[in-house]
Amino acid sequence: MSTTLPLSGAAEATGFATGNHRPGELRSCDTTGLPVCLNAQWFIRINAVMAVVFLLVGGIASILLALTRAPTIHLLSAEWYYRVLTLHGLNMLIFWILFLEVAILYFTATSLLNSRLASKGVAWASFGQMLVGALMVNAMILTGNSDVLMTSYVPLKGHPLFYLGIILVATGTLTGVGNFFATLYVAKRDRTYNGSVPLVVFGATAAAIIAVVTLLHGAIVMIPTFLWSMGILETIDAAWYRLIWWGLGHQSQQVNVCAMVSVWYLLATITTGAKPINQAVCRAAFVLYVLFINIASAHHLLVDPGVGAGWKIWNTSYAMYLAVLASMIHGFTVPASVEVAMRKKGHTNGLFGWLFAAPWSNPGFSAFFMSLVIFGFLGGITGVTLGTQQINIIAHNTLRIPGHFHTTVVGGTTLAFMGLTYYVVPLLFQKEFYARALCRIQPYVFAGGVTLMAVAMTFAGSYGVPRRHWDVEFAGAQVSAGFDASAHLWLGLMGVGGTIAFVGLLMFILLVVSAVFFGKSNAGRAMTAW
Amino acid sequence: MSDEKKVADIIRDEHNAEEHHTPGTMTLVLALLASFAVYYFANWKALADTWHVR
Repeated sequence: MSTTLPLSGAAEATGFATGNHRPGELRSCDTTGLPVCLNAQWFIRINAVMAVVFLLVGGIASILLALTRAPTIHLLSAEWYYRVLTLHGLNMLIFWILFLEVAILYFTATSLLNSRLASKGVAWASFGQMLVGALMVNAMILTGNSDVLMTSYVPLKGHPLFYLGIILVATGTLTGVGNFFATLYVAKRDRTYNGSVPLVVFGATAAAIIAVVTLLHGAIVMIPTFLWSMGILETIDAAWYRLIWWGLGHQSQQVNVCAMVSVWYLLATITTGAKPINQAVCRAAFVLYVLFINIASAHHLLVDPGVGAGWKIWNTSYAMYLAVLASMIHGFTVPASVEVAMRKKGHTNGLFGWLFAAPWSNPGFSAFFMSLVIFGFLGGITGVTLGTQQINIIAHNTLRIPGHFHTTVVGGTTLAFMGLTYYVVPLLFQKEFYARALCRIQPYVFAGGVTLMAVAMTFAGSYGVPRRHWDVEFAGAQVSAGFDASAHLWLGLMGVGGTIAFVGLLMFILLVVSAVFFGKSNAGRAMTAW
Repeated sequence: MSDEKKVADIIRDEHNAEEHHTPGTMTLVLALLASFAVYYFANWKALADTWHVR
């Protein structure tokens, strides 16, 4: 349902200042009361659809990998293991996340600030670059032209189109981020909102700032590597590559963290009516991310001979903790805001009456809260420990590392984004989900599988099992090597957990695809409540 | 979806500070810190057992 200027629906009713939307480019959401810019809605939709497509590609890769690392199955050949590992990393860590993040930026800048999207043309340019780039990268991987893993450490050399694809994804994302900043400017100029921007917009802005720094690192490292792959440059310094690449590789995950925390705040509000308990503290925590989270990338180089101990220890044992402090602040303020909201509703029994009474059958809530717990208890604790220089020496390049980041990126970010999708589809695609009972259990299946897989990886890594390794038994080696039964037990459990997580992921994709393409329209009325 | 207020109302009103009472969250946070302390100590112990300093 579209309205024409002046905004006649929710915005005025809820007290927002009149927006700057053009005639025919606005509707009001019948569920949330938020204004929806129709141009932004279109780009949110296509970015979200492509995000889910790349999630499926990465998900298929993930089950193949899990069943290869499980020793009794050992599914793929060595060649295809590394090929699929490259595919998995780039689709899950980069394409699925970045497409959805661009969608989140467009939503926060337009709906929460009651503004029009700054430019449709720029949004198309962003989407086109990202899509072409991602397709180029996947084509180069699947044709066997770039078996270089996600890090593509030199002197491993991929096809020039592989690097060009990554550059296009980066410039496309940067273009989308630019459109986000332009929308913030337009909203401020046209006074579409009163006072400070909402916390979710503040968090998204912090994510966008980190994204700019991240993508500049990407340009600095990938453009010379692209030229090197074409033979124009003779060599690339391997130590320099590693240093700058992690400015791209790790910081891109910090963009995810920032966006995930913003999604936590948003879902807490949507599902329980929570509001941030302290604006200044929450915003200061986002500023800590912007200032210090880039330094955290140093922990990837803790055993790298190319950088000194002083640099490593300062960056990871001092400065990095200021970014950790930010996560700890959010880890307190988000559940606290839910507790305050639930106690206000009368759920005041004991310490955890509010938590037991929370809407656990709402997939938006269950996904968000489990994301918070998995990210904090598993991802946070293991991350800070592994980021300590001295301890890192016994864990580096073991399965403990992917055990850690699967709890942050998958159990944390992906699960939170899945929770958000249970509102994006009915509110922005205006389609209702089928099989709502399956929707309610999907976050539990996925979270359970990821947790089992990540814990098993962590324990297997504690036995010394290396990461990124096709055959830890070294079959056919001239000297005996390999691991005992305990490590094999954990590798088997990793396969079981990975399979359960894959089932949860398939459920998610089927539910989303069936709703988006075949779901009943809810246009003109509120979405069916979870 | 919260029944009492629409999301747009909550976001508009989020700057109004109120008194808070969050003993459950405090307990969860202390559990997190205790878990971290145990895990961190266990890792230093594993390092000490692996790499003896004489």
